[in-house]
Amino acid sequence: MNDSRRQILDMLAQGKITADEAERLLAAVERSPAQEGETVKYLRVLVDANDEHEGPTKVNVRVPMQLLRAGVRLTGIIPARARDQVNDALRKEGIPFDINNLTPQNLEEMVEHLRDLTVDVDNEHAKVRVFCE
Amino acid sequence: MKPEILPPLTATVRVRRAGWRHGVRLWLPLFLIWLLLVPLLILLLPLLFVGALIFGINLWRSLKALKGVLAATHGTHVEVDRGDTKFFIRLH
Repeated sequence: MNDSRRQILDMLAQGKITADEAERLLAAVERSPAQEGETVKYLRVLVDANDEHEGPTKVNVRVPMQLLRAGVRLTGIIPARARDQVNDALRKEGIPFDINNLTPQNLEEMVEHLRDLTVDVDNEHAKVRVFCE
Repeated sequence: MKPEILPPLTATVRVRRAGWRHGVRLWLPLFLIWLLLVPLLILLLPLLFVGALIFGINLWRSLKALKGVLAATHGTHVEVDRGDTKFFIRLH
């Protein structure tokens, strides 16, 4: 048993923390470091459609996340004047987003959060699943 | 993941249609395209330089970013199965 686990169990035994808190702490400790350090490599899009006219279609796309990072770096070469125009156009469309904030550092944070993202769309004609792996 | 430096050098394409006895499997040497494009890029470099000056774009950064986008396409995989047609492409 490692020190962290023993410390948590000692705290539980001494009544310093509740059983729920101990469980949460143990779960956090047990989370493997390898899993923590894993980076998101690919964005997967799976489509399983059944169109009345065109029949069943299955699409499986795997896009490297590196492409997203490279795409964001492309925004860095947009001239300042054009950036302002893009921001104005976005504002007109009701999207309060400043592309000047789209930096590689911010993107890394976003990619990190994408790890837990799963989008599932399921209707009578198609099933779409978007996730990161 | 270690970022790739070079653009994809090869691509694998597979196509299979209903009624075909065998599917088509192609191995495409994309590096030949890059080899052809490099001299063309060198020839166009003066024009690109002038264009970059006019539009206020950093040419070196633009070329580097473009190379980054091409290099990042490594590992892209697209598979479409439409009943009578199956198509698959992967960039290596």
